[in-house]
Amino acid sequence: MTSLMDHQARETVGYSFSESTAGVKQHGFYPYTDNGGSTLGITGSDFAILAGDTRSTSGYNINSRMVPKVFKIGGDDETGEGATIVLSVVGFAADGNALKERLDTVVKMYKYQHGKPMSVSACAQRLSTILYQKRFFPYYVHAILAGLDEEGKGALYSYDPVGSYEREQCRAAGAAASLIMPFLDNQVNFKNQYIPGSGEGHALAAKKPEPLPLETVKGLVRDAFTSAVERHIEVGDNLQMVIITKDGIEEVYHPLKKD
Amino acid sequence: MDHFPGTWGRPRNDVYGAYDPSYLQSTGPKTHTTSPAVTGTSVVGVKFNGGVVLATDNLASYGSLARFTDTKRLRVFGNQAVVGFGGDVSDMQYMDRLLESMDIRENYSSHGNMLNAKNLHTYLSKVFYKRRSEFNPLWNHVLVAGFDGEGKPFLSSADLLGTTFSAPHLATGFGAHLAVPILRRLFPEEKPIEEISREDAVDALKQCLKVLFYRDARSLDKYSIAVITKDGIDLKEDEQLEGQSWAFAERIKGYGAQAV
Amino acid sequence: MDKLVAQYSRPSHQNESYSEQEQQDLTESLPPLSLKFALPPVANPSAFLRAMTDDHSNPSCPIKLAHGTTTLAFRFQGGIIVCTDSRATAGNWIASQTVKKVIPVSRLSRGEDKPTNDPTPGLLGTMAGGAADCQYWLRYLSQQCTLHEIRHKRRITVAAASKILANLTYSYKGYGLSMGTMLAGVTPQEGPALYYIDSDGTRLPGNLFCVGSGQTFAYGVLDANYRYDLTEQEALALGRRAILAAMHRDAYSGGFINLYHVKEEGWVHHGFDDMNPIFWKTKLESGEFSNVTSEL
Repeated sequence: MTSLMDHQARETVGYSFSESTAGVKQHGFYPYTDNGGSTLGITGSDFAILAGDTRSTSGYNINSRMVPKVFKIGGDDETGEGATIVLSVVGFAADGNALKERLDTVVKMYKYQHGKPMSVSACAQRLSTILYQKRFFPYYVHAILAGLDEEGKGALYSYDPVGSYEREQCRAAGAAASLIMPFLDNQVNFKNQYIPGSGEGHALAAKKPEPLPLETVKGLVRDAFTSAVERHIEVGDNLQMVIITKDGIEEVYHPLKKD
Repeated sequence: MDHFPGTWGRPRNDVYGAYDPSYLQSTGPKTHTTSPAVTGTSVVGVKFNGGVVLATDNLASYGSLARFTDTKRLRVFGNQAVVGFGGDVSDMQYMDRLLESMDIRENYSSHGNMLNAKNLHTYLSKVFYKRRSEFNPLWNHVLVAGFDGEGKPFLSSADLLGTTFSAPHLATGFGAHLAVPILRRLFPEEKPIEEISREDAVDALKQCLKVLFYRDARSLDKYSIAVITKDGIDLKEDEQLEGQSWAFAERIKGYGAQAV
Repeated sequence: MDKLVAQYSRPSHQNESYSEQEQQDLTESLPPLSLKFALPPVANPSAFLRAMTDDHSNPSCPIKLAHGTTTLAFRFQGGIIVCTDSRATAGNWIASQTVKKVIPVSRLSRGEDKPTNDPTPGLLGTMAGGAADCQYWLRYLSQQCTLHEIRHKRRITVAAASKILANLTYSYKGYGLSMGTMLAGVTPQEGPALYYIDSDGTRLPGNLFCVGSGQTFAYGVLDANYRYDLTEQEALALGRRAILAAMHRDAYSGGFINLYHVKEEGWVHHGFDDMNPIFWKTKLESGEFSNVTSEL
């Protein structure tokens, strides 16, 4: 990692020969690619769901039909046993992986150093600074972080590529975000839904959003993805759904269309 | 920073200079300063019951010139893993040295457990990712074949950007277009790999290499093939594609000097 | 020379690993809000960043950052009004309609995060431009202000806080940050104080500022109706009305109206309200916005 400080230091030290890895490179190399796919998170009063499709693409090619986008953070080993926080990344998969591994390390180090697991809000803030440290050479990813907060309520944080973040009820990211997000606005936050008979014309009262039960949310997630698959070429194959409750993390896969 | 309402908050030309699209590959003129010179084409691989097969042809091209016809692009690591390289040959040789020095260190280490194919793939993908982050990429797309920690067949890919993915059958380069559809037809993904025999897998790869030789102008009919099983690695490096039929070429019209 | 020898005397795989410092940076669980940033190893890092992220020069740029806003703040006899919209856009896509663009600065004097009607001591910062830039640097500023409070046993002045931020943005000038922020606070030394700071390093004290893509619309309303001796209710209504005008006319502004009042004892939150009912109420009750028909 080249840092701003190193950069300045290098200019003042002045080596007698040029280092092969340091210094200026000709451009013409494009360091990003888009691996497609989409992710989605919804929270309820005592749970959070993060979901993503498992297709990996480059251009019009399907690289693989089974590349999960949702990862457990801070678990014990490769299986992620004992984790309480879940991260989804969509965009450039290699950046996503690097980001996931960094956050995972940080959460583990926190546990070893403090003797307690990191809270979601702390982890959310930490993820923001990790992303911002690459402000001038961004991670090309849209991240969503989910877990349960101190009161046991579902917590969901969404990020832009350089680390601005916000806690939300629901968020879709990735290739089909523009297809899924309006659906969620309507079905989770009840946008543009009104209470029938509550008034005439402009006096019509808007329907108030309230936390949805788990089964309803599971249904919404599956509907969102089956619909996105119909209209977006980079989404499909399998739906990975990770459900976080006080009893732990449950991971389920559902088939999606493979065309 | 721009204060004009329509472009508010964006970089201003008089401070940052004109927008330079040459950093984006899709627009702007393409430069060749970091592009490869001597290259190898596709690598194809497929898992079968109890192992993995990996194959490449033996050609290293210099642009459109078929420059070296006996290049070995499959590299054995330890006794349970093989790496197949596509892309720049000098970078391949560099990575070979890298793997060799790793192998030596592993053999001298006291803990004794060798790196398996999965560990090797993780390592290679990190090297790729580090180099792309330095804007000094290793211009390769590799397949790693062998076994994972649980002893199950392992096949995974890593490329110059550090992108990784795994599937029951994979191909790089032109093979991603030509070989993968053949493999997907022969071995549908719902078919468990336990139902694929070693012979079927090897035959399938030979068929893929043949199709690639027919249509990929940077390929060759001499190839290497490695079969990785629990018993070890069976590597053949000087094979010849057999049963070629160029009859289909008669029917191709509309290219070159041929009159329609 | 030693470096050259080292490079060839160690096994080649060691050349591909990270230095100890880098490994430590990557695993630290509690890094401060550091000033260490990864730069793309190209001749002109800001040109690279711009090529990737400037969605105006190139609408199909790969990385679209959250942008676009209207924020305003003005001083009057009863303190300072701070009001913002809540929309974040990435290109033409509305990334969020619920952004909190007023950020409390200086946590120590703010105390706990509990909803209360009592004034909360501390400064307020606003967010316009790159959402991440504002969030990160206002957090950094918050940290510095808290440290100041601990060291000097009194709250930082708005002048000093704004100078920390301005020096910071000036030192990053040319790297591609994008932020236009206002700092508002009432301190015993200064009384009500309002500063504008942007990513060029500009720092201006003033009575009245509007910042963001919808600034002109907000200025229009504000300049027409602003007086220093507005009552508190009039001032709150004016702030809300100016943001409403900008939300109506600027496509990159919208969502909810976020209204704050900074007084001597601290700041008070006056709601995060959906603009739509407020718009219709304004139109139907006072006959404004006659460009819009109310026929359904």
